[in-house]
Amino acid sequence: MELEKNRRRVVITGIGAVTPLGPDVETTWKALKEGRSGVGPVTLFDASTFPSRIAAEVKDDSFKRHLPNLEDYSHAGRNTFFGIAAAMMAARAAGLDNTVEDPRRFGIYFASGEGITDFSNLVKLILNNWSGSGVEMPNMLAQGLKVLHPLRELEQEPSMPAGHLAAIFNAQGPNLNTLTACAASSQAIGEATEIIRRGDADIMLSGGAHSMIHPFGMGGFCLLNALSTSNEEPTKASRPFDRKRDGFVLGEGGGAVILEELQFAKSREAHIYAEVLGYGSTSDAFRITDMHPEGRGGITSMRAALSNAGISPQDVDYINAHGTSTVINDRVETLSIKKVFKESAYETPVSSTKSMTGHLIAAAGVAEIIACIMTIKDGVIPPTINYENPDPDCDLDYVPNEAREAKVDVALSNSFGFGGQNVCLVIKKFSE
Amino acid sequence: MGIGKTAFWQALIAGNSGVDYISAFDTDHFPVKIAGEVKDFSARDFLENRKVLKVMGRDIQLAVAAARLAVDDAGIEGDSIDRTRFGVSLGAGLISSDIDELGLALSRSVDEAGKFSIKMFGEEGLRNLFPLWLLKYLPNMLACHISIIYDAQGPSNTITAGDTSGTQAIGEASRIIQRGDADIFLAGAAESKVHPLTIVRQHLLGNLSESSDEPKKVSRPFEKNRDGLVLAEGAGVVVLEEISHAEKRGAKIYGEVVGFGSASSASPPNRADTDGSGLARSIKAALADSAFSAQNIDYILAYGLSCPFSDVAETRGIKEALGERARQIPVSAIKSMTGHSGAASGAIEFIAAALALENFKIPPTINYDESDPECDLDYVPNQARDLEPEAVLVNSFSFGGQNSSLVLRKLK
Repeated sequence: MELEKNRRRVVITGIGAVTPLGPDVETTWKALKEGRSGVGPVTLFDASTFPSRIAAEVKDDSFKRHLPNLEDYSHAGRNTFFGIAAAMMAARAAGLDNTVEDPRRFGIYFASGEGITDFSNLVKLILNNWSGSGVEMPNMLAQGLKVLHPLRELEQEPSMPAGHLAAIFNAQGPNLNTLTACAASSQAIGEATEIIRRGDADIMLSGGAHSMIHPFGMGGFCLLNALSTSNEEPTKASRPFDRKRDGFVLGEGGGAVILEELQFAKSREAHIYAEVLGYGSTSDAFRITDMHPEGRGGITSMRAALSNAGISPQDVDYINAHGTSTVINDRVETLSIKKVFKESAYETPVSSTKSMTGHLIAAAGVAEIIACIMTIKDGVIPPTINYENPDPDCDLDYVPNEAREAKVDVALSNSFGFGGQNVCLVIKKFSE
Repeated sequence: MGIGKTAFWQALIAGNSGVDYISAFDTDHFPVKIAGEVKDFSARDFLENRKVLKVMGRDIQLAVAAARLAVDDAGIEGDSIDRTRFGVSLGAGLISSDIDELGLALSRSVDEAGKFSIKMFGEEGLRNLFPLWLLKYLPNMLACHISIIYDAQGPSNTITAGDTSGTQAIGEASRIIQRGDADIFLAGAAESKVHPLTIVRQHLLGNLSESSDEPKKVSRPFEKNRDGLVLAEGAGVVVLEEISHAEKRGAKIYGEVVGFGSASSASPPNRADTDGSGLARSIKAALADSAFSAQNIDYILAYGLSCPFSDVAETRGIKEALGERARQIPVSAIKSMTGHSGAASGAIEFIAAALALENFKIPPTINYDESDPECDLDYVPNQARDLEPEAVLVNSFSFGGQNSSLVLRKLK
């Protein structure tokens, strides 16, 4: 396969993260290498009667010291705090002192999930006006004006974090937010890369942030029977590709990357972590509730990303799987990898870091891209933990339980969104 | 305004407002009583598989209906296109839950002392919600349902960039076609802002007009006596195709997307961007992309919200980007008739631009009685006008500081 000649190359010059495993990339990466789980009983609200009452929460609040101009978004939910703190850390790693010579060439393409509902006030508002069969509207509307807080409501818009980030970094270029469920932050990175490639910007801040660990989010996923109910042993609940897997574990967090056109990065002597080599986006076009049983969309998105990168499956040294720990995802993903990689599927290590971080939904993709970058940088593949019982349907090398030293130049990251939106990214060690 | 392009266009040209008293819920004790609702709408009419209706919130229903209308208009036939090169790019807003549905679950979670109990919600409460409840409200479901209905297996994206979602979804889809990753796209956006919680939220932010004596006269963009926006709902979807793909199948071509620009105001989102500099940047970026100069633009579809400050900012932004030429270009704000449908509005205005190219007419800004010295462009007051535009600029911006502009031109 041959790449389009003269295509502008896009490199990653900064990374930042707030995850259930730590308040920054270093702590998170150390935990990933050690195979530590970030899952525990839900503490953000009383989930003791929910079918699933475990989650991977961000426990270490020290990331908050990175938040600038907090008065501008003090009513925002924790998702926004995760995203902004991650972005600040990524910018610092990139050596950006918040200024770019031409701010019009600096854009934001983020993937924030919807913000967190003002649960207690909403409950109060609805119950105060419940007639027995419906909400008594005129009173509810009038009370709403007293009970709800304007900025708290506004901050729930998914477009808000991207707006705050633009203000913080004076980034006057393209500004977008995508919300393709579990594929969102990978999609944001892929599309931000395309914006730089086509010349609409030289530098983009991308990534995502999300928390659905609240009564409606947990409740909604419980109703869909999507969550693990292994409540007794929380750290063992997320077990991608293991035969006894029974659903995903909800996580939360944020991650950010600084993407730059290669010459632009060089001219400011930025440290280059890796290159974004390929991006593919496709749709299952099958069902809202289920993946295509033969992995149609996963296959086409992997192929699209490889073709966009101009490489063949044999060039891939590591696959960071979507690996949610649901019965169907892990089976279908395995099948799709085998379809695309043929014989080399069995020789390519595949791991799911969701076994440790849980599922960060809109922020999952960027957290996994960062894991790929660190894998390339350190030559260590993070494991799939809780892999105890082989499943005949899942017969690849999942890097079980222990991190592994390996030279990784090219990593493929899969993200398959609920509803059928699939995104794959190819990340490569930088070389001239 | 209407369902389908003909009804929509006829209403636009006649200057008929779609704003009226809210029928979806009772607003007796609430200061805001009007909105632009899509009336006589039944999503069933647009679906072959009606079972899926129960997993579609109102925004999703509007989106799939608009997609159906676009596919029919474009004459896309069953097997005629490569499904893996067929993409979907949909803008969406925050979809609010049905509050009666939530109310039932919450009411079953009240303990003996009459207080809400989260413990009871985890059991009885959840049992009273429908199992697929969450799926009705996920913003990515607009694109997902449309992909499924048309077996569109190509690139798929959901843009949630506030009120610029529609124009950015169309702009991004055209970029994907330009870079060769797809041949054809369904692109657009849908949102219903006619929801009790949305109306409360927007009113708390101080954006809504409280006038209600004459509903059709309340939305008056750029006019001196404007006092806030009017919420609405709607959807707009277009079929975008690579030109040779369209020509090969003999498709009717409305126009060519020649320019797309996106920019941020880079000011804290909840503070007004009064100088319009963010919009000016997105207009300049769209012009640069199209290789057009201000002289080539002969019509503007404004964002025109009818808010006191935003219409001034928009006027300033247009003047900053287009200089002296700005005063010669007619600018219409169709929100004077449609009201403000959030994420959907940019897509709907883009469609109005395409119809203006087709019909050699431009719709008016209605309710334009008194001019505002700070809004001093030609807003096509009250009467549609004959015009053969060659290139139309469509603008949108949002409270999150996003700005986006598209340039659509007549195909040469």
